[in-house]
Amino acid sequence: MTQIVLSTGNIVTAGPSIIRKPGITRSNLELTNSLRSNFLAAQQDYAGSPVSSNGNGGHVHRHGHPVNGNSRPAIDAWTATEDDGVLYVPRIDWTAAGLQENRAQYEITLKLFFLPSAPATKRTEYINEALRLVMKELRIDHIDLLIVSFPGISFEGNCEWEADKINATMGDDEEEVRTWSALESLYEQGKVSRLGIAEFGTEKLQRFIDKVKVRPAVDQINTKDCCSVPPPLTKLAKSEGIELLTHSDCTDILPSGILRELLGHGPQGAGVLADDENAQNGLKGDLIPEWVVKYTAFVNYRGVIENKGYFAGAELVQA
Amino acid sequence: MGLLALGTALDWPDAQKRAQQQLLEIWNKAKRKERDAMLWGDEVEYLVVRYSKDAPSVLLSLRQADILKALAADEELSAKGGGVPDLQDVKTHNSNPLPVFHPEFGRFMLEATPGKPWGIGFKELLEVEADMKTRRKIAKEHMNSDEFPITLTTFPRLGVPGVFTDPYYPPSGPKLRSQFVPDEIANPHIRFPTLAANIRWRRGRKVQVNVPVFHDEKTPNPWKDPSVNYDLHNWPEDDDVRNGAAPDNFIHMDAMAFGMGSCCLQITFQAKNIVEGRKMYDQLSPLGPILLALTAATPIYKGFLADTDVRWNQISRAVDDRTAEELGEKPLKNSRWRIPKSRYASNSTYISTDPRLRPEYFDPNLVIDESIKAQLLEGGMDDLLATHFAHLFIRDPIVIFNEDLEQLDLTKADHFENLQSTNWQHMRFKPPPAGSDIGWRVEFRPMEIQITDFENAAFSVFMVLITRAILSFDLNFYIPIVKVDENMETAHARDAVLDKKFYFRKNPFPNRTPRSAQGSNANSPVTSRPPSPVSPVEDEYALMTVDEVINGSKSEEHDFPGLIPIVESYLDSVNVDVQTRCELSTYLDLIRKRASGELWTAAKWIRHFVAKHPAYKRDSVVDDEITKSLVSAVINIGEREQAGTGWKGLDVPDLANLLGQFRGGCGGNGVKRSSDEMN
Repeated sequence: MTQIVLSTGNIVTAGPSIIRKPGITRSNLELTNSLRSNFLAAQQDYAGSPVSSNGNGGHVHRHGHPVNGNSRPAIDAWTATEDDGVLYVPRIDWTAAGLQENRAQYEITLKLFFLPSAPATKRTEYINEALRLVMKELRIDHIDLLIVSFPGISFEGNCEWEADKINATMGDDEEEVRTWSALESLYEQGKVSRLGIAEFGTEKLQRFIDKVKVRPAVDQINTKDCCSVPPPLTKLAKSEGIELLTHSDCTDILPSGILRELLGHGPQGAGVLADDENAQNGLKGDLIPEWVVKYTAFVNYRGVIENKGYFAGAELVQA
Repeated sequence: MGLLALGTALDWPDAQKRAQQQLLEIWNKAKRKERDAMLWGDEVEYLVVRYSKDAPSVLLSLRQADILKALAADEELSAKGGGVPDLQDVKTHNSNPLPVFHPEFGRFMLEATPGKPWGIGFKELLEVEADMKTRRKIAKEHMNSDEFPITLTTFPRLGVPGVFTDPYYPPSGPKLRSQFVPDEIANPHIRFPTLAANIRWRRGRKVQVNVPVFHDEKTPNPWKDPSVNYDLHNWPEDDDVRNGAAPDNFIHMDAMAFGMGSCCLQITFQAKNIVEGRKMYDQLSPLGPILLALTAATPIYKGFLADTDVRWNQISRAVDDRTAEELGEKPLKNSRWRIPKSRYASNSTYISTDPRLRPEYFDPNLVIDESIKAQLLEGGMDDLLATHFAHLFIRDPIVIFNEDLEQLDLTKADHFENLQSTNWQHMRFKPPPAGSDIGWRVEFRPMEIQITDFENAAFSVFMVLITRAILSFDLNFYIPIVKVDENMETAHARDAVLDKKFYFRKNPFPNRTPRSAQGSNANSPVTSRPPSPVSPVEDEYALMTVDEVINGSKSEEHDFPGLIPIVESYLDSVNVDVQTRCELSTYLDLIRKRASGELWTAAKWIRHFVAKHPAYKRDSVVDDEITKSLVSAVINIGEREQAGTGWKGLDVPDLANLLGQFRGGCGGNGVKRSSDEMN
């Protein structure tokens, strides 16, 4: 069993991955595109010499990245297994970490996605691991807002009223409340100033509030048209002092098929995972995506996003 | 522009030197100023018209001074932090002060700004529109019942033969010597007539503001401006038209008021430090022509339809003080150099310390005052910034007051400001004022004022958000500065917003910085990889429509993402509540639709208004009757907007093409939901 941590680095200044295509209201393209370009970038940066050509010159992508599967540097050149036994894809230069200004100038928001492929029982571990990585990357010791996204919940339907109704039956209330208690303790320790949830409709939110000790300060919702929030939800949020924030992520942000494609030997892959044709070339086993954390460091007084990125945790289970 | 302390106007002997010394002093004091907050301000300018249903024509009201006095005398207004800073001490203690009002060049104009600068809170951005409405309401309350503040860029009948002001004054006065407008058209403060007179004096003739006429079915060709009087003999300058100042097919105007009497929408941003200020200045520069075309609102001059849609070049010509030698019409003898542009013109150079600023982007023919530059360099200023200021210093200070020359006060910036504020480029880089804690600022100046406060708020908020996206994503819009000039010209064409193409950078994203090679780890990245080859500058940009720049492009050649998707992506990455996001989307939608052509610019709407008017004879003439209807429509739109009652039942042609369903009155807050719009 190997723990794998994927990372994007700071995507704010890393080109087009951060630009959402018009008309798409929710997607994981930001995550997948920025992982892909960060893998390519690391492969270029850590290649021992200019990428070797295998005779056909290699096809060069329009942004200048070689995508020829045969010209990659060795896996250990651009990934790293650190002392904790975790395999970092790509390797991370922690010396480059940190914020540019005083911590007090920032609003730091994390959104932690629990993925449907991972067991709910391990969520406390995931929380700790995600926080550890972000805190190390930004060199901080507390988070302003931590939003959690539970699997199987969304806000979709032909109309907002319908979406709200369907939402009430989604997810797993008990698991969510149980997970929440781990978050509450972070709140009580002062590590997180505000807690939030994502995609909770009126009924689900009401039930949740009734059961938890520390109420969420934020409910992040995605509606096709942000101007039409179901009125009962607006009302409930207002009376409970919960901020309704927007987002455009999909709930299942890293399905295992996509993760396998990202790390596999295909034309868009990083060549980390072995497959039938490349049996000797890479890691073997089943890859289970467990969690994804998105972090954003926003400089409050200037309205500037200084740092935004993702970490994703996965487990490689040997067959 | 503000009022100077009253003084005696003088010639300019060594004012340049004093300005340069003050500049160095300011720069030295403020160059390390850090961590200033993002604050910004907008300026809305109004025409004041006198309109009543019964009067045959609508007139410009020249009661600016009385209106300002009434505003200054309003105790409730001043108690709440509003008022007229030029006439009174405006208290700034109030945490939510009322707006403040300022005089402008035209005596028929008024400027209003928020009582305090805006911050960057997203909810705060939504207060802008309400504040603009409050400004208009307060302004109106201090006018006569038949006076109205309207936000048309220019008054269609300014300078026509006969009566167009109230009260009436005859033209051909000693200061302006205009055959079309009276001296009393300008703010009577000594600065303004002196400015106009000195520009004329320096030029050696009157300014020449010629706009191509729009040829309609029955417009004669060639067309000779029928309002030009060739038989006037009051002033030597009356010879100008006899010497060819009024060519065929051009609407001819001859005074500063035809330009400086235009209303603009200007936005000023405070940067965190000088580096960020310089970066914003450069990056916003290429956006100027795009926003000029997108806000086009000026199709009429002096009672005729023009063949251009925007005000810019008219202002440029209205304050063009270049001598015949500087213009290149005569060999250089007394003037120091030939100067390709008016002192009101698009930017001529870039100033950022950004390594992406390639030498190829500069204008190789930039004119600068080498001795000023040498002194600035000697004082420690870097080459780029010294070049920028040495370029501004090629202009004379135009208005100098006797009292200012008595001694040089380095704790003040009056000499420098005097020069800086009469250099009207489409961006302005503003050093911190002496003796204040204000930071380095950048002013974005090309936008035309829009008819409604909704539109003015939309463009202001859009500009704020695009600056935040530029800084966050480290975007790069550099193109050669001469291409920005060309774009500025392109933006003038009738319906340039849909029909013209502009040079714009294809890929706005930063180059990836390779991981550093530091550290002794054997697996450290190596630097042997050659840096990515630098492509020719010509490959970096392409011709794009405004729609492509704003909404994104899917052409073969490039996939420019579009400024609106960039702003949306910025908003995706910040915490913003649903209601705020919805309201911000309304603003972005307006801009999106204006760029795509789904909605019309004010210029296009006004053209259609004129064309459909029963009094219009297809001869390019916009008479009193048409103007009265147009102003009446604009007043009605404004009153509906103030009341928040939507447009339903309003008898204004093509209003839906101008404003779509925006602020149409559906729902309590007047926000039309896009879901409703689709039905």
